[in-house]
Amino acid sequence: MAPLDSQLTSNLFSIGAERLALLGKHHKALMQGYLDGQVDETAFSEGALKKLIAARILWRPDEQQPLALRPLVSELIASMVADENRRQINADVAEKLEQIRNRVQAYRDAQYKGDYSVAELQLQRLTEHVHDLSGQFEEAIDSLWHRLNSDFGFVSSLDDKIRENERAQKQLRRLLDGLDLLDFNELIELSEGNNHLRKLLVSQLQNQLSSHHSSLLEVQKRLVQLLAKFRQQQARSMLIANMAAFLRQHPKYQPADYPNRSELPSLFNQAAAIRPQAAIALDKASERAVLAELVRALPRPGSIELPEQHSASFAELLADEEITARQQALKTDVENFYLRVIDQGGKLSALDYLAQQQLSWDSEIWLYQILAEYQALPLEEKQMFAIRREEAPASSVNQLLLIRDIQLTLRAA
Amino acid sequence: MLQHGPLLERLLAGDFICQISDEDAFRHLGNEQTQQDINHYLRPLNRRLVSNDDGSVFYLGYHELTKEAREHLSSQFALTVQSLLPLLEWLQLVQETLGRDSALTAGDTIKLQEFVLRTEDNQSLRQRLNALASDRFFNSQSEQLDSQVKLIFRRLKEHGYLLQPHSERQYYIVTGKIDHLLDVIRFIRDEEQLPVDDTPSQEALL
Repeated sequence: MAPLDSQLTSNLFSIGAERLALLGKHHKALMQGYLDGQVDETAFSEGALKKLIAARILWRPDEQQPLALRPLVSELIASMVADENRRQINADVAEKLEQIRNRVQAYRDAQYKGDYSVAELQLQRLTEHVHDLSGQFEEAIDSLWHRLNSDFGFVSSLDDKIRENERAQKQLRRLLDGLDLLDFNELIELSEGNNHLRKLLVSQLQNQLSSHHSSLLEVQKRLVQLLAKFRQQQARSMLIANMAAFLRQHPKYQPADYPNRSELPSLFNQAAAIRPQAAIALDKASERAVLAELVRALPRPGSIELPEQHSASFAELLADEEITARQQALKTDVENFYLRVIDQGGKLSALDYLAQQQLSWDSEIWLYQILAEYQALPLEEKQMFAIRREEAPASSVNQLLLIRDIQLTLRAA
Repeated sequence: MLQHGPLLERLLAGDFICQISDEDAFRHLGNEQTQQDINHYLRPLNRRLVSNDDGSVFYLGYHELTKEAREHLSSQFALTVQSLLPLLEWLQLVQETLGRDSALTAGDTIKLQEFVLRTEDNQSLRQRLNALASDRFFNSQSEQLDSQVKLIFRRLKEHGYLLQPHSERQYYIVTGKIDHLLDVIRFIRDEEQLPVDDTPSQEALL
């Protein structure tokens, strides 16, 4: 029996390895098939397709259907990439438990017969089943946590999230029911008198399953909380949308006068604001130092700016007026001088007139103004007057002639 | 009471205190002894602490409903009623614009720029925003999308519905006052038996 067995094993090994390699060889096309729900047959050669179908990787669900991945392969990928849309949870415990019972029986039989190599093999299979059972829960719990922690982000709408959450809760209930099927008294009985079995079925499995159990309860709690939150969000969205629609349809809508009800709803009891004001207190001597400090810290204006611009222009205006007035007076006096000449009809000395009239003008300005007035006269009038300047050199060495006096004479017409 | 000075000042100024707007103060307000102390202190001012049903937001109400108090409450209620539709429309608009699958709740963050960008390219959102901005609650005179949005958000900040953590950065956090708004709506709906559903029908569930 042993050689046959080993031949079978080596046969299995070569087929398995070859078929696993197929997965690797066509990984891209297969993954695309996973995403699309069907494989593109043109991406494979005919031979490759045959091999993939023979390896039970691809199948044709129906004559008319395109080739697709076998469910188990899809499930494998979903589990590997934690694709919560496709990941499946296997909550079937009864079947596993049955297998464990059978293996224990086979193991005991082999031991009884003294066939130790078979017993060894059965023990190994049993160990695998026990790990499978535990792994099945672990996988399910991982998937549940993953969905919880992503807030069911793999579906987009709130309604979908609520449906997904409810589906997860059902899965969870099945898992908990499955755990209930495990009767540790039975397992203790099964392993009686055998250290290996006791270690495997009692201490190890029990430990694992009790930790799975508490994980599942925690997940359940969180799922229920999250569902409540989803429902609350949904209710909020609906309330907002429906109330807005109602108010749009009834623009004149006016609710009852709640603020004047005898029993005021606390929602509408919002008091008017009071804003506390404070000012500097001067009555506390102890705070004066602080106040002084504050005052000193005030930013000081650079310098006191008087409206200089304004006063300056005012003074200028005043001075202008004064000068204009003086000029006007000078002009009037000079005109009177000309009039005197006309009245007199004779020759008149400008400086004599100045002295005679006791005018306060500076002689030089007086003379200058008389000349200026003469120059300003129209030509005919100029000819009425004969003007003669009495000039003298500035000094014996300077030949510049200075006007000493002016004699004005009315010419006979 | 000394340590609650700033909190009292905020409450007296009419602020709503929630976990978002002032986490520390909110925690203190959860303490029954502190509530009593504050109420005792506020008694001469005719004020008392009020919270919504689920205790997510605190504010001040009148202790005794004097004539003046009633008058103030009446005018405030009129303002609240007036603001219902614009606020609800804003909530819907934000939810749709940002592609969120649920209504805004306290603690949600809104980036102003993202909101502007998404509205810009969508004619129908743009029109709705335009109508909303010119509502007298927001009262925008501008035709510019950017300034309309800024004004809307600024007004909501002034009303305490939004918090702007950094004055120079354009993102906002929804405060617990939005819970109060929804409580008001729910109350009015229940009280007046308005045909406004907030539970999905059985068909929608299936």
